Amino acid sequence: MSVDSVPANKEFAKQLGITFPLLSDFKRTAVKDYGVFNEEQGFGNRATFLIDKEGIIRHIDEGNVAVDPTTVIDACNVLEHKKATTSTP
Amino acid sequence: MYTRLLMSLVLLAVLSVVALGQQTPPGKTHLKVGDAAPDFNLRATDGKAYKLSDFKGKKNVVLAIYVLAFTGG
Repeated sequence: MSVDSVPANKEFAKQLGITFPLLSDFKRTAVKDYGVFNEEQGFGNRATFLIDKEGIIRHIDEGNVAVDPTTVIDACNVLEHKKATTSTP
Repeated sequence: MYTRLLMSLVLLAVLSVVALGQQTPPGKTHLKVGDAAPDFNLRATDGKAYKLSDFKGKKNVVLAIYVLAFTGG
């Protein structure tokens, strides 16, 4: 998700060969709700949120840390593992 | 009398500093692990609109916010 328009995101996806849909928060509502709106620059600061099936935030990466997906992938694995262990009788 | 007033002022000053210290810096999220994620309803590059609540009870979601598609940021 970025604050870029849908056409800008489409071009971005084309250039990078991204096949999954990219979300456009052109009105800056979501970046404000998530508290990552950079008012000076007018965009959303880099951040990654892992949200579980119940809509609860389970992991947050902000700033340059969020460039590297390793920590959120680890958090995903922990979440999956928890699910696997809790569903085991 | 003056001592009590002075003590009150000192306490007020300390509380003010604590309150300032707890303010979230601009652009840094106020959300914490364990908080409910705010819902969103956004258009995507495939022409569809996606709501976070559409995934409730179905899938975990990774929401990655990136900076400006054309700046390489």
